Amino acid sequence: MRKAEFSQPIVACQLLAGTFLISQQKCPKVTTSARPGSFIWHPHPLLSILLNMATVSLSELMGATVYDASGVACGRVREVALAPQEDRSRVALLIVKTPAGNRLLPLTAVSAINGGIRASTAAAEWAPSDGSEGLLLLSRDLLDQQVIDVHGRKVVRVNDVDFHHDCSQNRSVLRVGGVDVGARGAVRRLLKGLVPAAVLRALLLRVPPRDIPWDFVDIIETDPARRVKLKISHERLGKLHPADIADIVEDLSPDEREAVFETLDEGVAADALEELEPRVQRAVLESLDPDRAADIVEEMEPDAAADLLGDLSDERTKEILVQMQPEERQEVTDLLEFKENTAAGRMTTEYIALPVTATANDAIEAMRAFEGRMENMSTIYLTDSHGTLAGAIPLVKIVLAPSSTPLLALAQEPLISCHEGAKEKEFAELFDKYNLLTLPVIDEHSHLTGVITPDDVIAMLRSKL
Amino acid sequence: MKFFRSWKVRTLVFFAVVGPGFITANVDNDAGGIFTYSDAGARFGYTLLWTMIPITIALIVVQEMCARMGAVTGKGLSDLIREEFGLRITFLMMLGILITNFGNVIAEFAGIAGSLELFGVSKYISVPICAVIVWLIVVKGQYKSVEKVFLAASFFYITYIVGGVLAKPAWIEAVMATVKPPQLAAFKQDSYLYLVIAVVGTTIAPWMQFYLQSSIVEKGVTRRQYKASQLDVIVGCIFTDVVAWFIIVACAATLYLHGHHAIRDAADGAQALRPLAGDYAYILFSLGLFNASLFAASILPLSTAYTVCEGLGLESGVGRKFSEAPTFYWLYTALIAAGAAVILIPRIPLVKITVFSQVVNGAVLPFVLVFMLLLINKKELMGEYVNKPTFNIIAWATTVIMVGLTLLLIYGQLRSGTG
Repeated sequence: MRKAEFSQPIVACQLLAGTFLISQQKCPKVTTSARPGSFIWHPHPLLSILLNMATVSLSELMGATVYDASGVACGRVREVALAPQEDRSRVALLIVKTPAGNRLLPLTAVSAINGGIRASTAAAEWAPSDGSEGLLLLSRDLLDQQVIDVHGRKVVRVNDVDFHHDCSQNRSVLRVGGVDVGARGAVRRLLKGLVPAAVLRALLLRVPPRDIPWDFVDIIETDPARRVKLKISHERLGKLHPADIADIVEDLSPDEREAVFETLDEGVAADALEELEPRVQRAVLESLDPDRAADIVEEMEPDAAADLLGDLSDERTKEILVQMQPEERQEVTDLLEFKENTAAGRMTTEYIALPVTATANDAIEAMRAFEGRMENMSTIYLTDSHGTLAGAIPLVKIVLAPSSTPLLALAQEPLISCHEGAKEKEFAELFDKYNLLTLPVIDEHSHLTGVITPDDVIAMLRSKL
Repeated sequence: MKFFRSWKVRTLVFFAVVGPGFITANVDNDAGGIFTYSDAGARFGYTLLWTMIPITIALIVVQEMCARMGAVTGKGLSDLIREEFGLRITFLMMLGILITNFGNVIAEFAGIAGSLELFGVSKYISVPICAVIVWLIVVKGQYKSVEKVFLAASFFYITYIVGGVLAKPAWIEAVMATVKPPQLAAFKQDSYLYLVIAVVGTTIAPWMQFYLQSSIVEKGVTRRQYKASQLDVIVGCIFTDVVAWFIIVACAATLYLHGHHAIRDAADGAQALRPLAGDYAYILFSLGLFNASLFAASILPLSTAYTVCEGLGLESGVGRKFSEAPTFYWLYTALIAAGAAVILIPRIPLVKITVFSQVVNGAVLPFVLVFMLLLINKKELMGEYVNKPTFNIIAWATTVIMVGLTLLLIYGQLRSGTG
C-alpha cells in the first residue's frame, strides 16, 4: 500500500530536488523510498513531514513557465490565487498567461511545481479567466501592500510570500506559510533574474529572514463587497488591547482605517476609538456611515462620546445621534450641553448610586449588575430620596467590611465634590489634594449628576504637558 | 454671532492647514535656491527671468497634484509608488532620490559654511557644530518647536524684495524680460542651459514632492479640507517665485551691472544686498542664508530617510526608538555626517557644487513627474480626483521639456568634451 502511494512522486521529487531554486531542505529521497526496509535511517514522523514540505516563494512562482500534460510549455504564471471562502491558506489556482489569453489552472491539476509548473491536464481544458471574483490574488492584493502583523502589533509591508509545498502526494498542495517582510524577500525580488540562481541562493542564506506566519497576518481590504467575498474580518486584530489597535490604526491611511472600523466588533471598535488621537478619532467618525458610527458611539463611555461628538460638525453630530438608541442618545445629548473644559463636560454618567440605607451587600449586588466600566466602580455613591449626594464609599472599604454594614458608616470624610461648572484646574487640584480615585459632580441643588474618573484627568493633564 | 463663529472657524481651519504648502515653499528657497538664483542673475542679468512664469505654473500644478494625492489616498508618494509599481522600480527610484537629496544636503552645508565664513567663522568649526545641532533637533524630537522659529525667520526673504527695489533695477526691462519668450540662440550656450536646468531643479525640486505629500498625510488633511490646502499650496508657490524673481533682479541690477559675472562664494552673493544695507549687507545676507540652510538641513535628511524607508517598507519615524527603526536613524545620521564631510574637503568650490546639485535635481525631476502622473491618473486610486486635462498637459510638458533640456546639456558636454 505504502509502496503504491509513494512510487509515483519519487520521480517528481527527485527531479525537483535537482532544479529547486532555494529550498532549504532538499526534497526527501529518504521518506519517499519505494523500499522502506533498505534504509537505515528512520526519521522521526514529524521530521519526515517537515522534509516532505519544501518552501517556495511567490516571487519564484511568478513568471514561472507552465507545462501541460504533454510537456509543452504553454504559458507563464501570472497570478497565484487563494479562494478564502474554501480555505484561508491553500492556493486554489494559478492564473496562467497563455498566447490564447489568461487561463485558470486549478492547483489540483498541478503535478509538480519546481523546475517549471507541470500540469496533469491539457492546456485546452483550462478555463478562461473571467475576473477575480472571490479570489485573493497574492501578487496584486498582497505583494508590496501593507498588512497588519497581529503578533508583532504593527503595520508591515509585504516583500514576498512564502509557501509550503507538500510533494508527498501525487498532486501538489501549496499553502501560504507566511509573508516575508524582511530583507531576504526584498533581496530576492531585487536580484531575481539579474544574478545566477546559485549566487542568489548563497546570498539569501546570509540574509536573516523576517517572516510573519500566515495566521498572524491581517489583510486590509477597503472595498466592503470584496471584504465579504474574501471573508476578511479583523477577528484577530480585535483580540489585541484597544491601545495597540489604536496604534496600528494610526499608521494606516484613512480608507484603511475606515475598513478596519467597519469590521471590528462594535465594543472593541469603541474602546479602540477612545484610544486614538483626537484628530484621527474625528476623521474616523466623519468617514464611517452614520449608522455604523452610531453603533460604535453607543458603546463608548458617554463622556468620551460627548467630547468626540462635540468636535464634529453639527450636521454630522445630528446624523449620528439620530441613529443611536434613545437611552444612550439622551445621555450623550445631556453631556453635549456642557462646555468641554468644565467638570460637567468631562464627567461620565455611568456610576453606581445607592440609597442612604443601603448595606455593603447591596453595594456588591449593584456592582454585579453594573454594566459600565470597572474603573467607574472604584467609588460607590449614596444619594437621598431627592438625589442629593450624601456619601462616597471606596470600593476597598466595602469589600473589607462585613456584608451587613450600613454603607453610611463607611463613608469618607469629608465628602468631596465639585460643581458642574467647575473648571479643569479646580477639579484637577481636588484630585491631587485629596488623592481621589473619582470625583462626584453635583448641580446647583446638590444633586449628583456625574462622576469624573482619573483617566479623564490624566488625559487632560497630558494634553497640557 | 453665528457669522463670527463661522468666520473664526474658517480662519482657524485656514491656519491649521496653511502649514504644509507654505513650509515646503519656504524650504524651497534654501541654500541651493539662493545660490542658483544669485548665480543666474549675476551671470545672465535679466535674461533668465522668462523662466519664472512657466516655472511658477508648473510648480503650482505639480505641488497641487501632490497635495491632492496626499489628501485623497492618505498615503505618501513613495508608499504609492511602491504599491503600484513594485519593489524593483521603487528601489531604483529611492536610490535616485537618495543621491539627489544627498546633493541637496551638501548644498545646505555649503550654505552654512558660506554664511558663517562671512562672520569669519571657519567652516571646520561651523559645519560640524551645525551638523550636530541639526541631528539633535530631530532626534530629541524638538523639530516642531524649532520649525516655528525657522518659519518666522524666513521672512528675511522680504529683504530681497526690498533690496531689489532699492537697487533701482530697470523695471521695464525686467518685466519685459519676464514676459518675453527666450531667444533660442541663448540655449546654444552651455552655461545658460546649465543654469536654466538648475533654476527649474531648485524651484521644482524632487524632494519637495515627497515632502509635501507626506506632510499633507501627516496633517490628516482629508478630501473635505482639501480646498484649503490647495490655497495654501498656491500661495506658497507664488511667494517662493516672487522671492526668486527678486533675487535674480537684485543680482542682475548689482552684480551683473557691475561686471561681477560669477558668484564664487557667499561674499559675492551678499553684494546684491548692498543697496539695501550698505556695508551691513553681508550681515543680512549671511543671517538669511544661514537660517535658510539650517532650516533645509534639518528637513532634507529627515524627509529623505522617511521617503526611502517608507518606500522600502522599513520602520521609520522619530516617534520610534533607535532599536525599532535602525535603518531610518542610520540613514538620517549618515546623510548629515557625509553631507557635512564633503563640505569639509579643503578648497571645495561651495557655489559650484551647490549649483551642480540643483542641476541634478532638474535632471531627476522628470522621473518623479512620470510616476506622479501615472499615479494621479489612476481611477481606482484617485476616483473623481484624477487629473484634469490641463493639469496633465502642463505636467507632461514639464516632463518632456526637462528631459529635452537635460539631453541637450549632456549632448553639449559630450560635444565640447570630444571636440
